[in-house]
Amino acid sequence: MNTRIENTGQNPDSLAGLTVEPILQVQDLNVAFNIPRGKAKILEGVNFDLYPKEILALVGETGSGKSVTAKSVLDLMPGNNRETQGQVLFANKDWLTLSNKEFQSIRGDKISMVFQNPKSSINPIFTLGEQIFRLIRLYLSDQVEDIKQKKQCSQKQAMKIIAREKLNEVGLTDIKRMLKLYASEVSGGMAQRYRIALALISSPEILIADEATSALDVTVQAHILKLMKDLCKNKQTAILFITHDLGIAARICDRIAVMYAGRIVEIAETKKIFSNPLHPYTKGLLKAVPKFGKNEPLSFVPGIIPDLVNPPRGCRFHPRCDQAMEICREQKPESQNIEDNHTVSCFLYLN
Amino acid sequence: MNEPLVTLEQINTWFPNHKPILGKPTSWIKAVSDVSLNITEGECLGLVGESGCGKSTLGRAILRLAPLYSGEIGFMGEDIGRLTGRRLNPYRDKMQMVFQDPKASLNPKMTIFKILSEALYLNSRVAKKNYLEQSVKLLDLVDLRPEHIYRYPHEFSGGQQQRICIARALATDPKFIVFDEATSALDVSVQAQVINLMKDLQGKLNLTYLFISHDLSIMEHICSRVAVMYAGQIVEVQDAGSLFNAPRHPYTKALKNAVPIADPESRQELGILKGEVPKLSDPPSGCHFHPRCDYKEDICSKKSPEICKTEKNSWVRCHFHEKLWEQGVLIDSKELL
Repeated sequence: MNTRIENTGQNPDSLAGLTVEPILQVQDLNVAFNIPRGKAKILEGVNFDLYPKEILALVGETGSGKSVTAKSVLDLMPGNNRETQGQVLFANKDWLTLSNKEFQSIRGDKISMVFQNPKSSINPIFTLGEQIFRLIRLYLSDQVEDIKQKKQCSQKQAMKIIAREKLNEVGLTDIKRMLKLYASEVSGGMAQRYRIALALISSPEILIADEATSALDVTVQAHILKLMKDLCKNKQTAILFITHDLGIAARICDRIAVMYAGRIVEIAETKKIFSNPLHPYTKGLLKAVPKFGKNEPLSFVPGIIPDLVNPPRGCRFHPRCDQAMEICREQKPESQNIEDNHTVSCFLYLN
Repeated sequence: MNEPLVTLEQINTWFPNHKPILGKPTSWIKAVSDVSLNITEGECLGLVGESGCGKSTLGRAILRLAPLYSGEIGFMGEDIGRLTGRRLNPYRDKMQMVFQDPKASLNPKMTIFKILSEALYLNSRVAKKNYLEQSVKLLDLVDLRPEHIYRYPHEFSGGQQQRICIARALATDPKFIVFDEATSALDVSVQAQVINLMKDLQGKLNLTYLFISHDLSIMEHICSRVAVMYAGQIVEVQDAGSLFNAPRHPYTKALKNAVPIADPESRQELGILKGEVPKLSDPPSGCHFHPRCDYKEDICSKKSPEICKTEKNSWVRCHFHEKLWEQGVLIDSKELL
């Protein structure tokens, strides 16, 4: 695998020109579920690297395996009838081989996650204060002791001071009142900010945002996106941003990985994906995005995403592809590097 | 110029917020206040706004699915705002609705034939023996195949389910269809298919649409005019093309700037609108938008602006719309587009 490649992100003060080690490597990840109908091959050979300080977007249609990829990284998928193969390398360790207990000690600590619906990922029967205090006790007990000594205050007051600081960072105000509220009493935007603040308490190196703004209004979404971008810049957190909205990917992400039916079909820098898309699916997806100032019929990718119990042979996209060739029906395309940092899995670009 | 099919005069839809055991409610949630709109026959009017601004309630109020506190709803030249029960029925089948989540709006225990027959039952022009033939015709209209007719909703993808919902809406030969966030739950490529289908059907069957959405970027593709709603009031109505290039209300501009443009080359900075959507039970005094507005002055917090006509087919509710228009502060420079 290409462990050392140049990262020339969209972000001007990112690590342009330097060679950096990826912070997270997902190698040949396969996830399948045994269901009564057979074996659903949800992910098939997913490969990607996440570099420090970058925002990587994972885009694709519903059912393309974006969330499964993210959840597999944190081992959050239900395990009863699941088969997982491959490697998730973080800090020179293969996460998938860790025991549940070992995993528990790093999950949430080094990598944390923000989910789509903020209200359902906050416990409704505890106040927002109780939940943030619990995390502060878990991860920031040193700071709490420090403040207790310095200010000669109680543990609770020390925790409140930290909570205020952490919630201010994500742009929340009126914290005193907020800590007494329940999840149902705050708006969606506030709940999502609070959720992000919780995810950041452990100062994670990687933040996984699974459709973190899809349930929010555009105006609130703009706030959250700005927050994410600042976070990446100031705290040097790498973000894996899962979204189906190419507009968001274009605005905040440095690189984009396009997923289709459990495979990553193309990875490149954001600008390259938009200016020079190679895979026919990426092209189709880009054309389907509604744009301002254009009043013409929208084009679309014909057909629907395949059944993953009996996926098409060869390239999984060939039944919907208008450039499908004989070889596409027979063989699975390997991912190949077209130019630096632009990888595509398609036979059209076979040299 | 076509005749207006739907005319709304000073519509108010209020829900009681606090009601004592005896007597009238003491406070109200003003979901829709003082909305006046015309929807011309054959046009597609878009309705945008943040969640909680009352856009769905307005759509439901027009169809008489939400209570009407005061105002007049003219439909096909008749005031249907006060009609109830049997007297409303002749108008009911002329107006239909398509909802956001297609899966939730189709009965999982019914086959597609049964779902469509239920709607056809309301259409007195179709005899019972012709239901099957008519159902197949309806499926053909929405590009589904006849063999789909004995399947159940779960056997279809999200886009196909939404097509079935559209077919069901068409079963009663409606003139007017309200699409309440009908494409929001769909993927982009599926959304494009459904939008193209909606446009085709509009031309073929001479339908009038009210398209409710929070997504501004699809508005231009489907709507001829767009109304922007904020905190229960219409703040701007304009042609879809000029609304986003040259908005007259500060809220329209803020809304547009918050939509991420799918082009990394554009130098768009995501516009951040400060504050939260006001509570409809206790909206701000004066202009509802003033706490979040960049151009506010003293009068904005004291006096509620009237909605006034700027050009043909274009209205705006702002004290300073003429000044802002002359200064051109709301118009984006070409670079940003």
